Amino acid sequence: MPLVRRTWTAEEADKWTREDGFAIALSPICYFGLTLGVALCLLLRWEGFAISAVSIALIVWMHWIIDPKMKAISEEYEKNQQGYLRDLEDSVRWKQHEQDAP
Amino acid sequence: MNVLFTWLDWLWVAAFLLLMIGSGVLFYRLGRRSQSDFFLAGRGLPWWLPASSVYATHTATDTPMWITGIIYRHGLAGIWYTFFSAWAAISAFVSTRIFRRSLAYTQAEWNVVRFTGLGAEMLRGWMAGWQVFMNMFVLGWVGIAMGKVCAFLFGWPLWVGLVSFSSVCAVYVLAAGYWGVVMADFQQGVIAFLVIMIVSIWGIMTAGGPTGIVEKLTILGETDRLNPFAFTGWWTGEFPAAWFVTMMVIAILGGFGMGTSIDWYPEAQRIQSARTVRDASYSIWWGTLVGLVRNSVWAVAILGFFVLFPGMTETAEYEMGWFRLGFDYLPVGMVGFFFAAILAIHLSTISSHLNLGALYATRDLYQHYWNPEASERTLVWVGRWSTLILLLGSFVYGLMMENITEWLIFALWIMTAGIWLPNILQVIWWRFNAWGYLSAWIANLGFSWLVVWILPEFGVIPELLDYQQFWLLMLLGVGVFIPVTLLTKPEPMDHLVKYYVQARPLGWWGPVRREAERRGLIQPDASPRRALSQS
Repeated sequence: MPLVRRTWTAEEADKWTREDGFAIALSPICYFGLTLGVALCLLLRWEGFAISAVSIALIVWMHWIIDPKMKAISEEYEKNQQGYLRDLEDSVRWKQHEQDAP
Repeated sequence: MNVLFTWLDWLWVAAFLLLMIGSGVLFYRLGRRSQSDFFLAGRGLPWWLPASSVYATHTATDTPMWITGIIYRHGLAGIWYTFFSAWAAISAFVSTRIFRRSLAYTQAEWNVVRFTGLGAEMLRGWMAGWQVFMNMFVLGWVGIAMGKVCAFLFGWPLWVGLVSFSSVCAVYVLAAGYWGVVMADFQQGVIAFLVIMIVSIWGIMTAGGPTGIVEKLTILGETDRLNPFAFTGWWTGEFPAAWFVTMMVIAILGGFGMGTSIDWYPEAQRIQSARTVRDASYSIWWGTLVGLVRNSVWAVAILGFFVLFPGMTETAEYEMGWFRLGFDYLPVGMVGFFFAAILAIHLSTISSHLNLGALYATRDLYQHYWNPEASERTLVWVGRWSTLILLLGSFVYGLMMENITEWLIFALWIMTAGIWLPNILQVIWWRFNAWGYLSAWIANLGFSWLVVWILPEFGVIPELLDYQQFWLLMLLGVGVFIPVTLLTKPEPMDHLVKYYVQARPLGWWGPVRREAERRGLIQPDASPRRALSQS
């Protein structure tokens, strides 16, 4: 089994998996790196260019990992959205107790 | 200083204002169609539109003043003050995803999706009222910052800058609602980003370029200002490493929760306006990243300002540093362009908070508690009236801001310290209930008074630094909301299952997941780890 999975069924994508873990770990590193890297770049420090380059590479990698899963989640969820919106509108009108429990 | 504007400068300003009002007129028909259009642009936006709105909204008139202040005081290490917005790093892939799936218009409405019964309704009412107040406060705060900029530039009385430009902004917010906000934000975001880059790089070059700045700091004996990790010790001084660690914890782990930063509330509206879960995630992630990059550019420009004017001691004087780089050094004819960009920065924040405050007033207060059967047309009109009331209220707040700032910073602190952990627990722990969350808010109110003001005043405890207050308030809160949660009933399983199936939250949701699986609402997880834990 590959380290990163890039094809998903809707049911599988709905679960929290290793790919989410990668995104959660990489994302703050990218933010930290670019905040620091850009400032140092503007001072013409070589560390700034190195940190920025690594951060950009990590951003690309993170999206490569998580994007197929985000697409699968979104497509599946859109199918159910109208029903959920109807529930929400009932709720704001105090009608939620009239619905059957799942 | 009084800046002399040429006809070309005023032309920039007039053209820009026409462009902004024009976007309101253009999207008027879309905005008036329904409540969903007036407040969420019909939930149909591609990720880059709410992303530009995230960036534009959090680039306010007072933002360069604040960042200039901390960089001038602490050097490059001050950049970590601005890192609080990094909560979006994890949030984009966790709480944004969960919140988008809830479909709640507001964080107040989310409370009744996640919790149920009296506790949930009390939370909704409290949060809606608090947010109407907070948005009015932010409008006043940002509005008076514009008043100060105009007073600095033209010598106008404070109220002129406050009232005039917020009123112009209200034209397109009243007409087109969130459609007007987000379309104008896109233009404003692009203009603001470009001008921030131009003025900052211009300022850096004026100060001698990167090499010149480093050389001058060396001559001044201030090379520590170039070190992004120049703290005053681990625990000692006004800027210790312990503060930095606390900031990293608050910012990064805060992304697992909802409402762990005050910025969450406007972001929640942008999340729901995105057309898919994926668009919502990317809008928050990219909008915030651009903001962080902008802060870095600003920081180096302010180092340039420091070497140009190293001896300033008055906060009010050096806080205007970035503005001075633009107005003092840009060529004639470009000053108006710079002022137009400041207007872009200003209008994007004002428009967002006008529409957001009106959303809480309309959806959570008027519709839910007053007129549940209101038609879409009525709700749009209530949205407009709410916008107008917020605008007028912000003028009053803005003009009395000098007297109440300390109180209101304290109010913001209340929102952060003691409820940071409950804001995470409500997302990741199924057993956390409405009473636990409500008790956290109430306890934090009391503890904040005690820890920040009362106990130090009477000498019971020493005056604590802000990061120390954070940890103490969090611990005191735990002593209240954990017992309250465990001593009261969990939310009804029917409600939790319904929420779980729709939102698929991360964390400790085992009993709810198993119940959803038993009811056949979701497929059982057949992974070896789950099979092991169930055996």
